[in-house]
Amino acid sequence: MTITRINIGPVHPSTHGVLRLVVDIEGDTIVKVEPHIGYLHRGVEKLAETRMYMQIPPYTEKLDYVAPMSYDDAYVAAVEAALGVDVKERAQYVRVILLELQRIASHLFGIGAMCNDMGQMFTVFMWGFKDRDIVLKLLEDATGSRMFYVNMRLGGLVRDLPPGFEDEALEKLDYIDRRIKEYESYLEKNSIFMERTKGIGVLDTEAAINLGITGPPLRASGVDYDVRKNNPYYVYEKLHFSPMVLYSSDNFARYKIKIMEIKESIRLVREAFRLMPEGDALGMPVKLRSPDTKNRIVRVSRELPRGECVMYMVGDQQKPYRLSIRSPNFINLAALDEMSRGGRIADLFATMGSLDLVMGCVDR
Amino acid sequence: MAETNQYDEQRAANAKKEMDALVYESLKTHEVKPNAIFAKLSEITKAMPIANKMVNWSRVNSLWPMQFGLACCAIELMDFGSARIDSERKGYLFFRATPRQCDVMIVAGWVTKSMVPEIKRLYEQMSKPRYIVAFGECATCGGPWWESYNIVKGIDQVLPVDVFVAGCPPKPENLFAALMKLQAKVGGNIEG
Repeated sequence: MTITRINIGPVHPSTHGVLRLVVDIEGDTIVKVEPHIGYLHRGVEKLAETRMYMQIPPYTEKLDYVAPMSYDDAYVAAVEAALGVDVKERAQYVRVILLELQRIASHLFGIGAMCNDMGQMFTVFMWGFKDRDIVLKLLEDATGSRMFYVNMRLGGLVRDLPPGFEDEALEKLDYIDRRIKEYESYLEKNSIFMERTKGIGVLDTEAAINLGITGPPLRASGVDYDVRKNNPYYVYEKLHFSPMVLYSSDNFARYKIKIMEIKESIRLVREAFRLMPEGDALGMPVKLRSPDTKNRIVRVSRELPRGECVMYMVGDQQKPYRLSIRSPNFINLAALDEMSRGGRIADLFATMGSLDLVMGCVDR
Repeated sequence: MAETNQYDEQRAANAKKEMDALVYESLKTHEVKPNAIFAKLSEITKAMPIANKMVNWSRVNSLWPMQFGLACCAIELMDFGSARIDSERKGYLFFRATPRQCDVMIVAGWVTKSMVPEIKRLYEQMSKPRYIVAFGECATCGGPWWESYNIVKGIDQVLPVDVFVAGCPPKPENLFAALMKLQAKVGGNIEG
């Protein structure tokens, strides 16, 4: 049979922003998927070279605009490592709480967008956004902004958690815990959802490791790797949690991992609230003359909602000489070809939705 | 840019005459040409003041936005369409995936140089009258990426913009306010 080449995107309702795919199909079967990226490239790494250390978080936050807090934290942690600043103990707990809340919001978005991609299952999209708004409201209470927080400072935070935050957060998390069970019962009894996810887009363990993918897609392929556990930072050592691992490595596993991680994050936040000490959580002011960091090279690795981010930074006076970002989405996108090869063209978007890509992070 | 359909007695009378001729011809030859007749009918309604108001009223209350997001602001755009804000109550029905059915293009996010031809093409595919809302700092003026080498400093350098929304990103409520402003503009209540 002849091979047809079709173009999808860059503006397409199911490509999560502006991703262009050139797909070779033989009849209905995918032979090759070639992603064309760069439609959102704006040169964050180059811009960072002309900014002072604490002017950069607003730029790194806009890399992954579904989970900005995590990138904020990853960058500030790199600066802390370069300057040799220790984070205050209460600030560590507050950071863990905020990061896990961000992870919940991001995964809710991921599930909603995935269901939107696979044949307009709009109900779950609406549910996901409604529940995500509740978590965003909590983050807004804590940081003062709805989407881009810029809440991390060297050694702490801009502001401590507001009074009464704990009770409100626990109440809202109980609600989300209940809702997650509803999601599960709704989706896993839905024959359309199950037919489009079970056994579709399989990525076996060896291929997952060879491609270097991280985060939920890797754990759904049966690899027990989580930076929070393998290379712990902040107070993740003291908290009790286990990385979620599934072995079926299909779209369903990648969806199920997100559900399980939301539950685990809720547990983590509850425990962090219980163990959180009293005290000071404020960081240093922005306009601080830092010590000379010339030629100091740091490499900081963080577990973002979508995978492992590595910040590689070479210091200069008051600003980075070079900032290099290993974006998890860019590397996860490489797995799309492997996953969808041999499958149907109609399942391409279900597979892509399960990868949960953010194009701003891919293009940088 | 809003099209102005001014009352023109002569134009309406001419269109009516032509439509009557078409109807008589179709009665004679037993061959109906519905498209030509409807075209004449729409010209009559365009030229009549009361019908003009009707068209404007219906246009104002059913502006269909395009499902088209670029970057961060697209997340807030999705939130705008979801349950909490419920954009449908003011006539922004569904987000349509094809530009041919849309009235409003909401440019949400930064515009890179490689994206400009695609956006222009989408705009040209939209049916007239068409409106553009620049949503967020990046689409308004380049925003934080002002110094970047790959960014267009505002979509208004490429296409005509009707309403600008400030914020990084603006809240969904803010977009709602902007679109209500656009409705006022389309309805002719404010100059712009």
